Amino acid sequence: MLSQKVAQQSLRRLAVQQPYALRWSLMNAASPAAIALGRNIQTRQAATSSNSSDPTKLLAQQRLNRPVSPHLSIYRPQITWIGSSIHRVTGLMLSGSLYLYATAYLASPMLGWDLGSASAVAAFAGLPIIAKVALKATLAMPFTYHCMNGVRHLIWDLGVGLTNPQVIKSGWTVVGLSTISALLLAFL
Amino acid sequence: MSALRSTTRLFASSKPLFRPAVFARSYATVDALSQVSATGHTSNKTIQESKTLNVQEPNPSEQPKIKTFQVYRWNPDQPTEKPKMQSYTLDLNKTGPMMLDALIRIKNEMDPTLTFRRSCREGICGSCAMNIDGVNTLACLCRIPTDTAKESRIYPLPHTYVVKDLVPDLTYFYKQYKSIKPYLQRDTKTEDGLEYRQSPEERKKLDGLYECILCACCSTSCPSYWWNSEEYLGPAILLQSYRWLADSRDEKTAERKAALDNSMSVYRCHTILNCSRTCPKGLNPARAIAEIKKMMASN
Amino acid sequence: MASIARQNPLLRQSCLSAFRAPWATKNVAQAVAFHASAKKQILPPLPQSIQGTMNDPAPIPETHPTEGSYHWTFERIVCASLVPLCIAPFAAGSMSPVMDAIICSSIVVHSHIGFHASITDYFPTRRVPKTHTFMNWLLRAFTLGTAVGLYEFETNDVGVTEALRRVWKA
Repeated sequence: MLSQKVAQQSLRRLAVQQPYALRWSLMNAASPAAIALGRNIQTRQAATSSNSSDPTKLLAQQRLNRPVSPHLSIYRPQITWIGSSIHRVTGLMLSGSLYLYATAYLASPMLGWDLGSASAVAAFAGLPIIAKVALKATLAMPFTYHCMNGVRHLIWDLGVGLTNPQVIKSGWTVVGLSTISALLLAFL
Repeated sequence: MSALRSTTRLFASSKPLFRPAVFARSYATVDALSQVSATGHTSNKTIQESKTLNVQEPNPSEQPKIKTFQVYRWNPDQPTEKPKMQSYTLDLNKTGPMMLDALIRIKNEMDPTLTFRRSCREGICGSCAMNIDGVNTLACLCRIPTDTAKESRIYPLPHTYVVKDLVPDLTYFYKQYKSIKPYLQRDTKTEDGLEYRQSPEERKKLDGLYECILCACCSTSCPSYWWNSEEYLGPAILLQSYRWLADSRDEKTAERKAALDNSMSVYRCHTILNCSRTCPKGLNPARAIAEIKKMMASN
Repeated sequence: MASIARQNPLLRQSCLSAFRAPWATKNVAQAVAFHASAKKQILPPLPQSIQGTMNDPAPIPETHPTEGSYHWTFERIVCASLVPLCIAPFAAGSMSPVMDAIICSSIVVHSHIGFHASITDYFPTRRVPKTHTFMNWLLRAFTLGTAVGLYEFETNDVGVTEALRRVWKA
């Protein structure tokens, strides 16, 4: 009894891990014991069985188990959606820094900070030239990109320039123009 | 079975030791349903192909052009198992030119458990929509890249609930389609009691709209639809919506517009334009949505 | 989930606690058995559940033009007016206080709409109603603070465009 159980267990493991291995071995040499035990009859999986009284309930329960297929991580990077996500990120960065600065400026008298323009100018002037250019470029790049891509969005909202080649071309144009103008601004 | 690598077999056979016996499904028995459903939601993370079996071309030709296909697998009968990528190598000399040919050949000759939808094999039914090499398309219209050095990756449509392997559940997509009332709505009859007539110009407005086969490639390529698919209608349904808004014979334009006039249905579209980029039929859902927005703004 | 949250570690940090859905804790014991490392997902999709049969249409939301078409039109008008307003300071050098105030208020309105759209996208009412409401009130408070702060800056300091110009030239 016990040995039979052990044999059954190992058979099950094999079946779970390598269904083919089992099926092949059974097909090639269906042992009398296996036939007697009814081991080589057709498999019936739970998901396809109809032993439930309410089929809608069965479906609802199966739905709960389903995974969601991969999305962001597998979609090919294209100028369309990458450009759009950069547009949103740059917008949030610019507006976020404005919001933080303005609220901090409002609170500065209470906190004793000096956030006026004079001190900012003094602090910025004290930086080495490379740091200045780098800082200006990192500020200017999101701004120029967001502005130019924003114009692109406004043109689309008129129903113009929405074909695939136009979108790809205008997308890369915006990337190029915003980089150039940001560098110009950085060296201003 | 010689195709199985000995190392992976070793790895695979050691796995059940660490797995609770409850999760191991027996060969010829039917599990009680409660046992299956009690396991809960499957993890969405995918096991990489390096950790799964590699199924190889059973009978390659003289000078084989061997290409590897990585296919997303998930079996509802083993709901606790994570989804995995499985690699299949095929000899391109013995395979048809399209991705669907490769999938059918895998199913016929290598692994009958591989599951996918297919029907017409000529891009008119929309059944075989899937994500191939990172882009949503119809497998029957997608050529196998002949560069054998690069492997092809095949996933189900992104951010959909997976029924099995490459089969996504599109129930909600169809329910959304039904919600836009995709049929001619009209109360008045024509004067002569014959058919509703259109001028050639009016008919021309429907070109590029009526060809949509509802394969869901565009909707499932839209990041906005990924995050809000329950309320945002998505490009495919909006294209269909515009098809009825633009139809000169339809008399319920105002009602149709009112049904869309809220923050979610249309205005979650942020003109990302993945939809037009991916459409296997070469249609332009983004233009249709732009036209809807213009129509809505002008009343 | 959110592309922004993915790219922005700061936002990601703040999102994490908000997104721990109740169902996620239920299967912890099981999850542990299958995950070697506990990688947290941001706003992971819920297990699938569909209301009604496949033959029922999806519910149609209520008509709400102030959140729909009027909102969109207003948003586009603000965006379009920002185009000349962004070019003007570069063309004219420093700006008059009136122009400065117009630029600032348009940018604040534009920012508010942008943040609001992001909240609607990444904190859906259906999914996290409380977080959605909280984030919206937080946004309103911040917008008000920003508006008052900018007013103070305009009246007590040199004005935004002038300040930016000075910093840039420093």
